[in-house]
Amino acid sequence: MTDLEIVSGVLLDDVALTLDELACACSVRPDWIVDRVREGLLAGRTVPAAEWRFTSAELIRTQRLVYLEVHMDANREVAALAADLIEEVQRLRKMLAVVGPPPSRDAS
Amino acid sequence: MEFRDYYQILGVEKAATAPQVKASYRKLARKFHPDVSKEPDAARRMTEVNEAYAVLSDPEKRAAYDQIGSGRQAGEQFQPPPDWGAGFEYSGAGPGAGPGASQGTDYSEFFSSLFGTASGARGPQQQRGGDHHAKIAIELVDAYNGATRQLTLRSAAPDESGRVAVRERNLTVRVPKGVTEGQFIRLAGQGSPGFGEGPAGDLYLEVVIAADPRYRLEGRDVHQSVPVTPWEAALGGAIEVQTPGGRVQVKIPPGSQAGRKLRLKGRGIPGGTPGDLYLGLNVVLPPATTDKARELYATMARELAFDPRQGTGAES
Repeated sequence: MTDLEIVSGVLLDDVALTLDELACACSVRPDWIVDRVREGLLAGRTVPAAEWRFTSAELIRTQRLVYLEVHMDANREVAALAADLIEEVQRLRKMLAVVGPPPSRDAS
Repeated sequence: MEFRDYYQILGVEKAATAPQVKASYRKLARKFHPDVSKEPDAARRMTEVNEAYAVLSDPEKRAAYDQIGSGRQAGEQFQPPPDWGAGFEYSGAGPGAGPGASQGTDYSEFFSSLFGTASGARGPQQQRGGDHHAKIAIELVDAYNGATRQLTLRSAAPDESGRVAVRERNLTVRVPKGVTEGQFIRLAGQGSPGFGEGPAGDLYLEVVIAADPRYRLEGRDVHQSVPVTPWEAALGGAIEVQTPGGRVQVKIPPGSQAGRKLRLKGRGIPGGTPGDLYLGLNVVLPPATTDKARELYATMARELAFDPRQGTGAES
């Protein structure tokens, strides 16, 4: 059966996620996120948790941490390190795409 | 639909313990991780491996799968029985954020028909339905202007006879102007239905901007290569350029060299702080295929004291 719906969404970052919404989107408890924010493994926050708002990039990072901890058995520091490295690789790949690949060394 | 042998996909025995299943999954996740794998079909294999692990790592799903899969072979035609699912209750989530995965919607029809596509919740029991995640591919020009895209989403639900059937629904999604790679569009109420009176979950669409050889992206900044003639580069002048935001007239400063970048402020991807458009000048030489062209090149060779190798270490 096929239904046709036309839907409009909101762009995360225009409307950021609350702590509970982020927890729900990542299938974890809110205190799982609070622990990692307090330890500096997710973006730092200075305001009370009820006022925290999370962006698209933080949603991706949280999902990545959940994956690494739950399914790859990484402890939280190792998961954060791996997430940092993945983000750095992605940043460098984007930079490489902008400047182009290095010149070939085998030109005669 | 074809039966899938999840034990075969993960390379474990049917009697494998939970640690053995996880160890095999981790090994395969490293092998097929799309960010590092050199395998040509890494993304597809990773999706298969994620799907197999989502079932075999969850005791409830694994028990149900073992019951229905007893004596079956991979590839054999398969339909879930009408009473499928009775006596089982699923509460776990698969490796939804795993490499190459976009929870639920990337899984096979076989998986969807058995277990649905809800991401579930490891947290407290909730009445709210689970959130779903998927990706939505757009063109760069769509990021400038906004667009609508049609998505087909699959989920499993019992039909009138009680048989679990895969239900497809098409969503026409409005992509707002100004989206960038990696941003999420959140569609409230488009996830799994709620339990009881609970509200439905949300659908999160991660924006992927399709690769276009004409453009390269860096956040909201866009880089584009623009071919120019040697005289346009040397003498300067105004040229017309087709950009993702439309045609613009650009002034080439005299004395420009190949590789020079011109910044068009605010003409990158729109937003609260719009990106910039960088035009990289690519000086293209006219071919010396006519007598006239060869004569002009010969005149330049005679008249211009020019050695491009001077000072580069490549001079003779």
